[in-house]
Amino acid sequence: MTDLLLSQIKVNDESQFGTDDYVVNLGPQHPATHGVLRLIVKLDGETVKETIPVLGYLHRSIEKICENRTYPQCITYTDRVDYVSAMSVNLAFALATERLMGLEAPPRAQWLRMIFVELQRLASHLLWMGAFAGDIGALTPFLYGLRERERILDLFEMTCGQRLTYNYIRIGGVMIDILPEFVPKCRAFLDYFEPKIAEYEDLLTYNPIFLERTKGVGVITPEVGINAGVCGPSLRGSGVSCDVRKQQPYLFYDQVKFNECLETAGDCWSRYKVRMRELRESVSLIRQCLDRLEPGPIETKLPPVLKAPPASEIYSRIESSRGEMGIYLVGDGTVKPWKCKYRCASFNNTYVLDQLTRGWKIADIMAVLGSLDMIVPEVDR
Amino acid sequence: MTNEELKTKIESDFKDKVLSATISAQKELIVVVKPESYLFVCQGLRDKSEYAFQHLSCQTAVDYPKENKITVVCHLWSYKYGHQITIKLDVDRANPKAPTLENIWKSANWFEREVFDLYGVIFEGHSDLRRIMMPEDYTKFPLRKDFADDGFIIKPN
Amino acid sequence: MLSGENIVKSVSDLLHQLYAMVGLSAFKGVLDPIVAAHVMFGFISVFVMFLVWMERKVSAHMQSRIGPNRVGIFGLLQTVADAIKLTIKEDIKPVHRDKIPYYIAPIIAFVATFAGMVVIPFDKGMVVQDLNIGLLYIIAITSFTVIAILSAGWSSNNKFALLGGFRSAAQIVSYEVPLVLSLVPVIMMTGTLRLGGIVEYQSQNHWFVLYQFIAFFIFITSATAEANRAPFDIPEAESELIGGFHTEYSGVKFAMFFLGEYIAVIVSSAVAVTVFLGGWLPPFAFLAFVPGFIWFMIKLLLVIYLVMAFRWTFPRLRVDQLMDFGWKVLIPVAILNILVTGFCVLFFGKGV
Repeated sequence: MTDLLLSQIKVNDESQFGTDDYVVNLGPQHPATHGVLRLIVKLDGETVKETIPVLGYLHRSIEKICENRTYPQCITYTDRVDYVSAMSVNLAFALATERLMGLEAPPRAQWLRMIFVELQRLASHLLWMGAFAGDIGALTPFLYGLRERERILDLFEMTCGQRLTYNYIRIGGVMIDILPEFVPKCRAFLDYFEPKIAEYEDLLTYNPIFLERTKGVGVITPEVGINAGVCGPSLRGSGVSCDVRKQQPYLFYDQVKFNECLETAGDCWSRYKVRMRELRESVSLIRQCLDRLEPGPIETKLPPVLKAPPASEIYSRIESSRGEMGIYLVGDGTVKPWKCKYRCASFNNTYVLDQLTRGWKIADIMAVLGSLDMIVPEVDR
Repeated sequence: MTNEELKTKIESDFKDKVLSATISAQKELIVVVKPESYLFVCQGLRDKSEYAFQHLSCQTAVDYPKENKITVVCHLWSYKYGHQITIKLDVDRANPKAPTLENIWKSANWFEREVFDLYGVIFEGHSDLRRIMMPEDYTKFPLRKDFADDGFIIKPN
Repeated sequence: MLSGENIVKSVSDLLHQLYAMVGLSAFKGVLDPIVAAHVMFGFISVFVMFLVWMERKVSAHMQSRIGPNRVGIFGLLQTVADAIKLTIKEDIKPVHRDKIPYYIAPIIAFVATFAGMVVIPFDKGMVVQDLNIGLLYIIAITSFTVIAILSAGWSSNNKFALLGGFRSAAQIVSYEVPLVLSLVPVIMMTGTLRLGGIVEYQSQNHWFVLYQFIAFFIFITSATAEANRAPFDIPEAESELIGGFHTEYSGVKFAMFFLGEYIAVIVSSAVAVTVFLGGWLPPFAFLAFVPGFIWFMIKLLLVIYLVMAFRWTFPRLRVDQLMDFGWKVLIPVAILNILVTGFCVLFFGKGV
C-alpha cells in the first residue's frame, strides 16, 4: 500500500507539488473594463503572466442584421457599433454606401459632417480621458471631462434631437440642417472649451504619480504596432503616421489645415499626449469648418429605391475617434448589402493587450487598457 | 503608384500565382490568388519594399452559396506609399480550409478567429483557433447565408 | 472660563455625585473611564458621519458637482440615511467563507482604530486616559487593522479580496516604519511619549511643524498610506480589485470597515495635530480666549481636509511604486532627519 502511494507520488511529482498560476477573472462585470470585456489574467503574485481577453459578451450580430436591412435602415445600427462615437460610424457607413453607389453629398453636407464628426471626436476623447484617469485612480478628471462633453451633447441634441445615438449622417447628406443659432453656440463652446484643455493638462499631464504610472508602461514599438494592426491615436503614440484623414483624405480634410499628432515613445503617456493634442487640433478644425460653411442643399436627391450595383464592393476607411474605421460592403444589385463588415479600431487595439501587459503588474493592465481606448461594443459588434 | 501600375506590376511579379487582377468600378484593385500561392503572395506584398503592405487593415469572408464558395477577403494598406489592395481567396464551402496569415500579420490572429467563428473557415496553422464572439459550445456559423437558428430563420435574399 | 479642563471637572463632579446616590462611589476609578469611553464613542460616531458628509461635499466641490443636498439641510442627514440603509439591508455572505475570521475582521478593524482615540487630548485634561506611553500605544494599537484586513481578505474566499489583503499587509507594515521614524525626532526633543506632555512642550516653544517640517510631511504621507486612503488606496483599488479586502462584505460589516477607515483618518490626523500642530494651543497668544478644544477641532478638520484633497486630486500609485516610495524615499529621509535632530539635541540641548 505504502509502496503504491510512493510510486504514485513519484510519477505525479510535478503535478502534485508544482505551483499553479493565480488566475483572476477580470470581468465581464468589473469596474475597470469599460463594459463587458472579460479578461482572464494569470498572475504570479502581482505580476501578470498572461492576459487572455474573452470577447463576445456584447455581440449583437450587427453584421448579420445589416445583411437583412436596406442600406438606409443600416444607418440606425451603425450608431450602436460604437455608441461613444456614433457620428463616426454613421459617417463611415454613409461614405461607404455613397462610394459603392457613386453618389456624392453636397458641399454643405460635407462641411456639416466634418463639424459633427470632429465634435464627436472631442466628446469621445473627453470621455476617454476621464475613464483613463479613473482607471489609474484619479476620479476627478472624469467629472471634468463629462462637464464639457455635456455641452457637446447639447449641441448634438439641438441639431438632431439625440444625445447618444444620433442617426444624423445619412446616405447622401445629413438628416437635417443646423439651426441658425448653432454656429454662434458652437463657436461659444469652442472659445469656452479651449482653455479647459489646459485645465486638464494641469490636473494630469505632469502630475508625478500620473507620470510614474504611465511613462514607459505598455510600450508599443512601431513594428509591433503596425504588424498587430494597432491604429489611430494608439499607434500615433508610437510615431507612426497613420491618420486616415491625411493618408486617404475623405470629405474635405484635404482642404483644411491640421497637424497629425505624433509622439515617439509609444507608452501610455504618449498615447495620452496624442489624444490631448488631438483635442486642440479638432477645435481648430471645427473653427475652419465653421468658417467655410456656406448655404446650400444638405442632401443629394436619392433614387426612390437605393440599390447597389450588382457584384460591386467597396472597402472604405475613415478615421474615427478610436482609429481606423473600415466598412466593407458587397452589393448584389438588391436593396440590401450582401455583406457588411465593420473593421473597428478597438478590435485590433485590444489584441495587443496581452503582449503589452506581460511581466507588468496587475494595475498596469488597467492603465494599458485605458490608454488603448477600447470600447466593448466596437470589439464585439 | 496608381492602381493601374500596381496591377501590371503585380501581374508581372506574381505571374502564375494570381488568378485575376481587376480594378473594380469603385476603383479598387482586387486580386484573386490561387490557394496554393496565397501565403507566398501575401508575404511578397508585405516584404518587397516596392509594395510594403505592412498593414492588414481588414480580413473577413463573404459567403456565396450559389457558387458554392466562401471568399476570404484581405484588405491591405501600405503606410509607406498609401495604396490599398484587396486580396481574395476562394475556398470550398463544404470543406473550407485556408492557410493562416498569422505569421505574416499578427493582426490576422483575431481576424481569422472571427472568420472561423462566423463562417467556419478553418485556418491551417493558426495558433489559437477558437470561437471569439459566439459561445464556445456553439455549433453553427451565423454569418453563412443558410444559417438558421431556432426561432430565427432568414432566407438568403 | 470655558475650557476643556473645567468642563471635564464639572461633568466628573456631577458623575461622582451620581455614583454616591446609587452607592457606587467605591468603583469610580473603574466607572470613570467607562463613561469617558462611551462619550468618546458617541462623539466619534457622530463625527464620522459628519466626515463622510464632508468628504462627499469636498469631492463634489472639487469635481464641480453639488453633492448630497436632499436629505436634511445641506444634505447633512445623508450619512444617517446611508447608515440606516446599511443596517437594514440583507447581509450577503459568501458560502465558503472561513467563518470566524470573516466575522471577527470588521470588529477588529473598527475596535483597533477606535482604541487609538482614547489617548488623544482634545484640550488640557480633556482626554479619556493620558497614558505616559500614549504615542507608542497609538502606533501599536492602530497596527492591528492589518490583522483585520488580512483576515477579511483571506476568509472571504475571493481572489480579489485576498490580493487586497496581501497588498494591505505589505503596505501597512512598510509604512509603519517611516511613520514611527518620523515621530522619533519629536520624542527626542521632548523626552516624553505622553501626548499631553508633547503639547505642553510646544506651549513653551514653537509648534513642531516649524522645527520638524520634514517629519510632518513624512508623517502625513505615511499616515495616509496607513489609513489606506488615496493615493495609497491600493488594497481596495476600485479599478483593479473591485473592493479589495471588503469586496465580500455588505451591510453592517461593511459599515464597520467604512467606519474604521474614517476613524483611522481621524486618529492619524489627531496625532498630527497633537504632535506637530500644537494640539489645543491657539496659533497666537491673544487668541487664547477661544477654548482649546475648539482650536483642536479646527486644526483637526483642516488636516482631514488636506487628506481628503489628496484623495480627489491624485491618481493611485502602483503597488511596487508604493513600496519603492516608502522604503527608498521616506525611510532614508526619516533616518537622516533623526540624525540631524540628534546632533542638534546634543549640541544645543533639548530646546533646539
